[in-house]
Amino acid sequence: MGNKTNKRTISNVRRPAASAAAHARISVADALFTTTQQRVLALLFGQPQRSFFTQQLIELADGGRGAVQRELERLQQSGLIVQSTLGNQKHYQANSSSPVFAELCGIVGKLLGPADILRDALGSMANKVQLALLYGSTATHRDTARSDFDLLLISDDLTLEEIYEALTPAEKRLGRPINPTLYTGGEFRKRLERRNPFLVKLLAGETIPLMGNKDDFIAAG
Amino acid sequence: MTSSPLDNLVRIGQLKLEPPAQAEFDGLVRSGQIRLTDAGNLSLSLESRFDLAYNAAHALSLAALRWHGYRSESRYHVFQCLVHTLGLKAAQWRVLDQAHRKRNLAEYEGDLDVDEALVEALLRVTQTVAASVVALGPVPIA
Repeated sequence: MGNKTNKRTISNVRRPAASAAAHARISVADALFTTTQQRVLALLFGQPQRSFFTQQLIELADGGRGAVQRELERLQQSGLIVQSTLGNQKHYQANSSSPVFAELCGIVGKLLGPADILRDALGSMANKVQLALLYGSTATHRDTARSDFDLLLISDDLTLEEIYEALTPAEKRLGRPINPTLYTGGEFRKRLERRNPFLVKLLAGETIPLMGNKDDFIAAG
Repeated sequence: MTSSPLDNLVRIGQLKLEPPAQAEFDGLVRSGQIRLTDAGNLSLSLESRFDLAYNAAHALSLAALRWHGYRSESRYHVFQCLVHTLGLKAAQWRVLDQAHRKRNLAEYEGDLDVDEALVEALLRVTQTVAASVVALGPVPIA
């Protein structure tokens, strides 16, 4: 049920919100949560079907051990997350029987979801990116904890190395690899004309816009 | 000439220890440089340039690994070790990682779909690898 909420919020409602956020002095996520809280919530409620080791959460959240452990303690005591012990390791997972489980998944999906993290990572080169789309299993919400994030980027100025560089922090936060495919505007249009199977399939499937609008971009050609 | 991350890979069976040989090193470097030059030939198809650049990257990366006294039959491990053998940047190694996955899709599933950005990045990274391998100098004598 959390996923259904995510799907709707990330792909549609997000767009007007993004333009409003451009004028905001502080992001909604920053107003509501500290950085550590954001990262811990993004992991636990962004992948509510997955359980995490303490050490894994500390590494993925990229926060101090003490700060992350304090958050986990509070979340567990409030019943928002559940803890189980496997061997001598503690596991944490979002508690699906909590009365605000669906709402938290929704908030995380909307404010701290992969799309936001990726958009944030690409932010420094926004003026050089004509179009950025998330596609594949993570866009259709059929992803597992091991799925990669597949990204299509169109830019006439960026190199693949620069993109990998910019995406490194996002990969760390998401805990999963990001696979970018980079085209120039010209190459994108050439592939579209030749009905390139990969591109046709990608555009026919569900995508999440990160930057630019695919219909506008195609129409502008 | 042992660096510990590489020795750890020997311990888990991903690399083998084998003293370097100058003739083999020179052969790999030469093979890599020839292919790298040809990969820059714009009159060839993008697919052929990709193949040449990929094979150049592999020969040069293997040369670096052999210089340090290791060997691997796995192309993936040979590329992965570049961070240790030549101090390659993570973003550069990821370009080789993507090229390797594309090459495997082509080789084993008949699906070759390379793009200009990848081929250009692959050429730049392979040039960096070539320069760093040459800068290693003669193989160390045991």
